[in-house]
Amino acid sequence: MEQVHPTRMELIKKRSQIALAEQGRDLLKEKMEALIQEFFRIMVTFTESREELEAVSASAERSLIIAQAVDDPVTLRSASFATKRQLTVDMCGKNIMGIPVPVIQKTSVMLNVMQRGYSIIGTSGRIDETAEKYESVIDIIIRLAETETTLRRLGDEIQMNRRRVNALDQVVIPELKQQAKYIRFSIEEREREDMFRLKKVKKLIERKKKKKRQASMRSG
Amino acid sequence: MDIGYVNARVRGMHSYLLPRKSLDNLVLKPDIESFIEELEKTLYREDLERALVIEFGVRGIENALRNNLIRTFRKIFRFVEGDLGEKYVRIFLRRWDIHNIKTILRGKKIQISSQEIRDCLVPAGELDEVTLRELLKQPDVKAVIDLLATWGHDVSIPLTRNFEKYSKSYDLVILEYALDEYYYEWALSQVSGRSKDEEIIRNLIATEIDVTNIKTIFSLQRDSIDPEDGEQILLLGGKFLERKKLVEMLGQSSFSDLFSYLQPTPYRFLEELKSSDNRVKMSAYQNALDAFLIRQGASVFRGDPLSITIIIGYLWAKYNEIINLRIIARCKSVMVTLESLEAELTYV
Repeated sequence: MEQVHPTRMELIKKRSQIALAEQGRDLLKEKMEALIQEFFRIMVTFTESREELEAVSASAERSLIIAQAVDDPVTLRSASFATKRQLTVDMCGKNIMGIPVPVIQKTSVMLNVMQRGYSIIGTSGRIDETAEKYESVIDIIIRLAETETTLRRLGDEIQMNRRRVNALDQVVIPELKQQAKYIRFSIEEREREDMFRLKKVKKLIERKKKKKRQASMRSG
Repeated sequence: MDIGYVNARVRGMHSYLLPRKSLDNLVLKPDIESFIEELEKTLYREDLERALVIEFGVRGIENALRNNLIRTFRKIFRFVEGDLGEKYVRIFLRRWDIHNIKTILRGKKIQISSQEIRDCLVPAGELDEVTLRELLKQPDVKAVIDLLATWGHDVSIPLTRNFEKYSKSYDLVILEYALDEYYYEWALSQVSGRSKDEEIIRNLIATEIDVTNIKTIFSLQRDSIDPEDGEQILLLGGKFLERKKLVEMLGQSSFSDLFSYLQPTPYRFLEELKSSDNRVKMSAYQNALDAFLIRQGASVFRGDPLSITIIIGYLWAKYNEIINLRIIARCKSVMVTLESLEAELTYV
């Protein structure tokens, strides 16, 4: 409190600061509510995709085991040499209430039997089926990457907002109010002191006047 | 070597193939350790002991099975080398040569280490380890083809013929299809005679061509590939499905229409696999077709005792046994249910 100047100007300033902080807190609360709504909306899609990924992964793994068992792992690895390729993902961004989130262009990595890079005459359908299932796993992973990053960023922002709201609610606004109260009390105290001093002076003046009057009556 | 003697040796080897009861016993083993223990009581013991020192578990078993297959096939090849039977055995074994050449070409194209490529080779065919090592030393696809051509190996013919086309797009599929097509053309040309043996083997190759064509058409149909593109990869020389019929099949708009073409053929059993929800599970059709082919191949063992088909029948039966053992080992290592495991096995 030592650094606060207990002046009227300061009190006005503090009051406007309190109003601004309260307004900011309300806005942040509204933003947080909107973010939470968006978070849960994306969360539904995310959960569905996650479940889909688990199911497709389990199925792909089973196909891989069968393909390895029937066609020999070396045949599978040989086929994998032919299918080796680089995946390029086009990305851009968008804003959800000021939060930058990634947008991955929905281009499927799924290939047909003629595009996988090996001859289908010499490669079994089990290997094809395994490749196809893993391609769809990659597709879901790419889709999940977008929603997961969006969710993480929204979550971070919600957390940050909550901290801000809490800081405003529990630290900044109470402190400002405390300061305003201190200034108000100080001003009132000062007013009372002034009043007392004025009364004291008035009394002294009156006493002096009375003495003067008595002296003039005695001489007269 | 006298064919009678060779057949007697092969019949002896056939008697050592695991009977259904032994396979059932292996299927019932609770884990991979007890599976190894049981398998060590068979002729696979030597290969298992060697392979399991290097790598334990299912990979060790797979290496042992692969080594056993290579050793057995090379032994059979030595029996018939220089005799009339050589060309028939060569037809069966060449599929591994094709696999090896394709693997080397794929590896060289993406420039991976020779060791990585070598790990995927199965030297069960004519191209032995030394030959394959020489091919692995080559720096790129062109050098591999050039070396094969320098050796005068006939497999280089389709590769050199299609290399120019390949060099325009660098799409290895061009060379792979050329190799596959050449293999079946070559195989049929080897058995164009009138002898009973040649007729049986010719039928077997033609059945394999049918099976391959059906698998191709099913895959193309499911992925809605343009029939014109599909026509390019159809194989000629099938037994029941001639090219005209195959092209018509390619042009069908729905998957279920394909089955009407298979009705007059022995492949009509595929219709039974059609699921009620009309979903196409390719692996189910492929498994059924593979099992059909293996049964056809192994059945020629029951022919004339002085025929070369005894050897061919044994090769198919041995190949099937290795597949079955690998399926059991893999499924045991990841605790696949008994029903699923048994569904994958083929008994001959």
